[in-house]
Amino acid sequence: MRMKIRPFLLLLPLFLAGAPYLTAQQDGAAATAESTTPPEWEGIVNIDVSVLMPDFREPWNAGQPSGGSGTGFLIGKNRFMTNAHVVSNATRILIRTSNDPEPHPARIVHIAHDCDLALIEAEDASHFEKLQPLTFGGIPRLNTEVIAIGYPIGGERVSVTRGVVSRIDFRPYSHTNVDSHLCIQVDAAINPGNSGGPVVQDGKVVGVAFQGFSGRVAQNVGYMIPVPVVKRFLKDVEDGRYDHYVDLAVSDFPVENPAQRKALGLETDGIGVMVGDVEPAGSVGDLLKPGDVILAIDGNPVLNNGLVRIEGDLVDMNEIVERKYAGDSIQLRWARQGKVETSTVKLKRFTPYVKLGAQYNQRPRYLVYSGLVFQPLDRNLMDAHQIRDSSVNYFFERYLTDKLYVERPEPVVLTTVLPDAATTWLTPYAHSLVDEINGVKIRSLEDVKTALADKNKAFVEIRLHEKTRPLILKRDLADAAHPRIMQTYNIQEDSYLGQE
Amino acid sequence: MISLFRSLMCLLLPVALLNAQAPASPKAPGKAKASKSARPVPAASSKGPETAQPKSLLKVNVTAQPYSLHFPWQKESPNNSRGLGVVLEGNRVLVTAQMVADATYIEMELPDTGQKIPAKVVAVDYEANLALIESALPEAMQKSFFAGLRPMGLDTGSRVGDSVSVWQAGRVGDLIETPLNVSKVLIRRYIVEGSSFLVYEATGIIRSEANSFTLPVIKGNKLVGLLLSYDSKNQVTTILPAPIIEHFLKDFADGGYEGFPGLGMEYQVTLDEQLREFLGLKPDAPGVFITGVIKNASAEKAGLKKGDILVSIDGNAIDARGDYRDPVYGALNASHLVRGRAYVGDKFELGVLRDGKPQTLSGTLARKKPEDYLVPPYAFDRGPRYVLMGGLLFQELSKPYLDAFGEQQSENASLLRLGHIAAHPDEIEASGRKKLVFLSMVLPTPSAQGYDRLGGIIVNKVNGHAIGDLNDLDAAFKDVKGAAHAIELDDFPRVLHLDAMAAERDNLRLQGGAYRIPALKRLE
Repeated sequence: MRMKIRPFLLLLPLFLAGAPYLTAQQDGAAATAESTTPPEWEGIVNIDVSVLMPDFREPWNAGQPSGGSGTGFLIGKNRFMTNAHVVSNATRILIRTSNDPEPHPARIVHIAHDCDLALIEAEDASHFEKLQPLTFGGIPRLNTEVIAIGYPIGGERVSVTRGVVSRIDFRPYSHTNVDSHLCIQVDAAINPGNSGGPVVQDGKVVGVAFQGFSGRVAQNVGYMIPVPVVKRFLKDVEDGRYDHYVDLAVSDFPVENPAQRKALGLETDGIGVMVGDVEPAGSVGDLLKPGDVILAIDGNPVLNNGLVRIEGDLVDMNEIVERKYAGDSIQLRWARQGKVETSTVKLKRFTPYVKLGAQYNQRPRYLVYSGLVFQPLDRNLMDAHQIRDSSVNYFFERYLTDKLYVERPEPVVLTTVLPDAATTWLTPYAHSLVDEINGVKIRSLEDVKTALADKNKAFVEIRLHEKTRPLILKRDLADAAHPRIMQTYNIQEDSYLGQE
Repeated sequence: MISLFRSLMCLLLPVALLNAQAPASPKAPGKAKASKSARPVPAASSKGPETAQPKSLLKVNVTAQPYSLHFPWQKESPNNSRGLGVVLEGNRVLVTAQMVADATYIEMELPDTGQKIPAKVVAVDYEANLALIESALPEAMQKSFFAGLRPMGLDTGSRVGDSVSVWQAGRVGDLIETPLNVSKVLIRRYIVEGSSFLVYEATGIIRSEANSFTLPVIKGNKLVGLLLSYDSKNQVTTILPAPIIEHFLKDFADGGYEGFPGLGMEYQVTLDEQLREFLGLKPDAPGVFITGVIKNASAEKAGLKKGDILVSIDGNAIDARGDYRDPVYGALNASHLVRGRAYVGDKFELGVLRDGKPQTLSGTLARKKPEDYLVPPYAFDRGPRYVLMGGLLFQELSKPYLDAFGEQQSENASLLRLGHIAAHPDEIEASGRKKLVFLSMVLPTPSAQGYDRLGGIIVNKVNGHAIGDLNDLDAAFKDVKGAAHAIELDDFPRVLHLDAMAAERDNLRLQGGAYRIPALKRLE
C-alpha cells in the first residue's frame, strides 16, 4: 500500500448509488431444470443495499438515506465476498440469488476499505446451504480470456460479459482514493452494479470486479481486484479481525541520473532506489533518511526505478510489503553514503494518511459549544464543508508532506458558527483551524472538551491557526446561549466524541 | 508525489498578468469604432460648425511586451493599447501606469491632425497606477507638436454628489463628453497588491470611442481624476482621484521620486462587544486590533506589535471600524492618513493601547519597495531573474509568478507550499533569506536525466552553501566539490546531483540548439 496523495478523480467505483432496485420476480418457473443460469453460478448473488450517508455538515443529523445494488459471490459456508464500497454505510443488506425471488437479510462480517473488499453473511444461512461456493484461481496471463459475472445496470437477471486480461499493474483504488494495490485491467464490459462480482477463468475466480472509467474518459477499461489481494484479506481476517495493510511509508525517487547514482554510491548494475521522503510515524521512520538508498527487500534486489522482480514480472517494491501482515518483518538492505547495512524491520500500519482519504461506516464526531461546531479534520469534512480557507486547505494538503501529524494527530476545525446574539461577530471565522482554547493546545477533539471544561475564567479564548484575532466568548453569555442554540438549531446532543 | 507542475505551466502561458488583473485595462489593439450613427452629439456642436477640441488631451498608443514568467529568457507576444493622456506643465503627459507597464514603444498622437511622436516614461508608480511620459524627441522637434496644446490643472476638491464628465476624443479630435455623478469616496485596491488608495466611485453610462477606458475625468476644464475601471453591467466607474495625482506630481517635482509611504500593518475591527471587553476597551473607546505587522516597514520600526490596539494616527482617532473622520469625505479608512496624505520622510505618531496602557509610538514614514519583500508583490519593465544550470531552471518566487497559475494554485501541492510562504513570509525572512530561490522547472537535458518532472521546490543549499538569493546560487555553482553539484531541496526528493562537466556541456547546447536561450542567467 503506497500512499497516493493526488486523488484519482476519473476512476469510479462501480456500485451505482441510487440504482433502480432489483424488483423481485414472482416467477414460479424459476430454479427448474430449464433455467438458463448454470448451477455453478447460483452462488453469484445480487446485493441490494440501503444506505445512510453520514452528514459531516450537520454532524448531529443521522444523514441522507439512499440505496443501490451490487454483486457478491459465495466463497464458503455462508460467506459472500463483495466490495467494501457496495456495503459501506449500509443500514440494510439484502441478498437475492438469480433463481430465488426471496430477499435474504444479510450483515457484514469483515470490511476492508483500504482494499475495497468485504465479507458478508446471510442472517439465516439455511437458504444457501445447497449452493456451490466459487473457488479462486491465480493471476491470469495477459491476453487470456475472462468473463465478468454480476448484476450490472441494463437488466435485472445475472449478466455475463467477456474479454481478455489487458494489463497487470499497481493502481490506485478509488474507494478511499489514497490506497494503491495490485490491480488487473480487463476489457470485458464492467458496469455499475458489477461491483463485487467475480471475474472467472476456467471456472475459477481470478478477480473481483470493482472499478472502471466513465465512458467519457476511456473505453473498455475495467479493473478487478486480483487474487493475491483477495487472499491477503481473507488471511488477515482469519483471526476474526482485520488489521489493515502495513506500509514502509517511504517515497522513493527513481535513480536515473548518472551523477545522482554516483553521489549515492551506487554501482552501475541498476540496483538501488533513492529514498526521497520518510514518514516519521511509519515502519522505517527511525531507520531511514532522505538520500538513503534501498538495495533489496527480503532478498529481492530493488532496481533503480523502485521495481522488483516477483514471479518473473517487474512490480513496485511495495508489492513485497503488500503481501505482509501487521507485525510481520522484512529484511531491508540499504545504504547511507555508500555504507551498506542490513536491518530487520517490523512492519506496522501507517495511520495518518487515512484522514486524507474517504472514510466510511463512521458516525461523524463533533462538539458544539455555544453555537461553535468543532470537528476533526479529514477528507469527509473537507468535502462536506467545501472548505476554501487557505490555512485549512494548506494544512490538509500538506498534512503528510510537512509531517504536521506529528504535532497534531487530530487537527480540529471550527466548521460552523451558528448565528445567535452570543456568536454573531464570530460567523466569519467558520472554516478555521483551532490552535488553542483557554491556553490548551488542541491536538484532538478530546482536547476541545477538556479545554472547555475549565469554567474558572470569565472568557473562553479561542486561538485560530494563522489568524491573530482571538475568538472571545464571555463564559456566562456563552453558557446561557448554549441550550438556546441547541434547541433553535435542532441539535439533540452537543457532542459525539466516538465510542470509548 | 511528483507533481504535474510542468504541464500546468505550459497550459498557463498565455495568461497576461496585467490584463487579467485589471478589468479596465485597455487590451484591444485599436480598431476604433467608426459607427457614426450611434455617436453621441459632441458637447459643443450647437455652437456652430467648428467642433470643440480637447486642447489638453493627447492620444497615447502603447505597445507592451511583458517577460515570460515561466520561461524568463523569453518575452510574451506584444500587445497594443490606447488611451487618452492629459497634458501637464512642461509638456509632460499623465497616463495610468498600467498603460506603460512593460512598454516597448510609446507614442503620442494629436487627436485632430493625427500627428505622432515617440514618447518615453519619466516617472511611474505601479502602486498608485500613475505615470508621466514625455516626448522622446529633441526639444526643437517637439515644439510644433505641443504648440496647440494647453496644460491642464488639477481639481482636488471633488466630493460626493459632484457632477463630472469623462472626456473622449472623436474621430477627428472632436470632444465627446459623458456625464458622471460621484456617488462614493472610499479606499480601494488599484491594480497591484498592497495598493489601497483613495477612489471616487461614480455612476453613468460610458461608451468607449476607441475601445479604451483609459480616459480623463474633468470638471470645469480641470482634471478630477483618471478612469480606473468601468463596470458596464452596473454602470459604475472607479476614478483614480486628483488628490493622489497631486501627491504623485509633488513627489516627482522635488527631484528623486520616493513613492507613497505605508505603515505596513493589518488590523481587525473591534465591533464585537465580547472581544472589546476581553481587550479592556470601553464601549465607546476608539481603536482597532492589530493582527499583523510587516517586517521592516514603518510601523514595525516604530515598535508596533501584533495584539496592540491602534487608537490614533497623528492625533486622528481611529474608530472600531478602522475609519477616521475626514473633513471632506467623512468616515474614511485610516490608511488614507498615511498612504494618501503623507510623504516618505514625514514623522508619524501612533496612539496605541498595549496591555491596557496607552502608549505613543513614533517614527519616520518609509515605503517598502517591491524588491524589499521576500516575495515581491509585483514587477514590471524588467526580466525575471533566473539561473539555468544543465537544464535546471532556478527562479526567485514572486506574486506574479504564482498568480499566473490562477485556480491551480490551490490544487497543486508544490504551488500551495510556495503560495503559503508568500502569504506567511515571516519565518523564512527571519532565517536570513533575501529571496526565495526555487527550482521552477527542468528542461530535458542529458545531465538532468531523471529530474524532468520536478518543479516548484525550494532550494536550501547548493554545494554546501546556503542560498539566500540567486546571486548566492550563482556563486555556489562555481564552487563545485568533486565532479557533481549537490543541490539540497526543501521537499521531496531532498537532494539532486548534477554532473558538473555534463551540465556545462548542456549549458552550451541550451544556448544553441532547439531552445535558443540567449543567456544562462539574468541577475541584474
